[in-house]
Amino acid sequence: MFLTINTNDPRPIYQQVADGIKELIARGKLPQGAPLPPVRQLAADLGVNLNTIAIAYRELQKDGLIVIKHGSGSVVASSTTTERSPDDLRRPLRTALTELVLAGLSSTKILSMVIRELRTVGRGNK
Amino acid sequence: MHTATEYLVLFYIFFWVVRIRGCVRRGRQPLLRGPEWFFNVHVQPDFYTGAGKKILYRYWMRMLIPFVLDIPITVAIFTPSYLDYAPWLLIAQAVLIHINHVYSVDKAEREARPIAVPETEQPVDSMALSLTPRRLRDYANPKVEWALALANIVALALLFRHYFADPQHQNWRVVFAVPAFYLYLQVGMLFVKSVVLAWRTPVPQTQATEHMEAREETRKYYLKMCDWYRAFVAAGIVFWSIVIRISPAEFNRVSRIWLAAWLVITVVGTFLVEIKRKQLVTVALRARPVRMPDFLHESDIARWPVCYQPSAPMLILKGAHGYSLNLANTLAHLGAAYLAGLVVLFALLRMGR
Repeated sequence: MFLTINTNDPRPIYQQVADGIKELIARGKLPQGAPLPPVRQLAADLGVNLNTIAIAYRELQKDGLIVIKHGSGSVVASSTTTERSPDDLRRPLRTALTELVLAGLSSTKILSMVIRELRTVGRGNK
Repeated sequence: MHTATEYLVLFYIFFWVVRIRGCVRRGRQPLLRGPEWFFNVHVQPDFYTGAGKKILYRYWMRMLIPFVLDIPITVAIFTPSYLDYAPWLLIAQAVLIHINHVYSVDKAEREARPIAVPETEQPVDSMALSLTPRRLRDYANPKVEWALALANIVALALLFRHYFADPQHQNWRVVFAVPAFYLYLQVGMLFVKSVVLAWRTPVPQTQATEHMEAREETRKYYLKMCDWYRAFVAAGIVFWSIVIRISPAEFNRVSRIWLAAWLVITVVGTFLVEIKRKQLVTVALRARPVRMPDFLHESDIARWPVCYQPSAPMLILKGAHGYSLNLANTLAHLGAAYLAGLVVLFALLRMGR
């Protein structure tokens, strides 16, 4: 199972790592209880500072998606994030939709794009 | 000739044959990917007739450096008072061959890069990261671990029984020196396994599966080799627990069988290793080499053969002039502690001899 990191992506590396793991959890590829590689392994493979991966793991832990067990590694704790208010959840969606509207896409195109992405994530069928 | 010398000479002759094969294999390595490649560097079509000719020649010449050690080895084998040093020199030579090879490949690639195809020298944009944990337990075979543990425990129990049967007349150093050293070697092999597992696996997004397979196969090969060495050393402890209790006449006979068995195992093992190496090369050639992004700017932070970079999680950094050992890495600390422990062990075993 791979996580993709792109050097042209404007997001910082820690964010790409965290988002990538979140996506794999959402798609069911990383089920509850699945072990994650140690911070040192991911940092070495990627060739980045240890803190970069540690921050990504902390973010996932904060969202309640993983549990960091010192000495025995990290595991996926849940396939859903901890309770967040509807406003909190709506905010990134609105930002993304704004970007698409500003890019000049029609509502139909945006809608089909959203449906396609939702299917990719895996929850769209449920 | 003494039995040990006879077998050492035989082993040495066999070692030469293997080394010549190794030299041929390493000599061909730059061209394995075809005439457009020099190791993993995509070169211009006229590389081997132009500037590359000298680079290739220098690489071949560097491959001959370990032959220097053959002089003291030959002296040690044929001078009875130095015979004990011969196995150590052979081990040192094997280590030197590998280090020299890694260093020479890196140096040759660095020399070739300025005249490589420019587009291929650009680092890739996308990297794939494996989310499969690599821990010792993930790569351990429980049956092998149990068998090794059992062999060690039984052999040590036999040795303790032998020692305590008549402690007045037994020198504990004679009884326990060999197994203590062999046990320590086994711990060392576990450490080497940790280093192999920690070896970084950066793979590009394109051909990620091929790259990952090549690295995984190589990793498994080295881990298996470590397990084989552990098994040989455990067999050594078992052998010691048997021969220490037999008469001198029987000892010579058993030793001959033991050494002959070793020679056969070494010959068969070498053939198997060669077959496996060929398979690994086939797998490795499926993955097209690419340059990976250097997020840490390793060539700037590692300018010497050793460096101290607590923020870098790697044991070895690709520095400005070659590889650089990161002294801030936990594995470097463990390695240093292991070597210090080895010195202490030797001092303890020699004390009061």
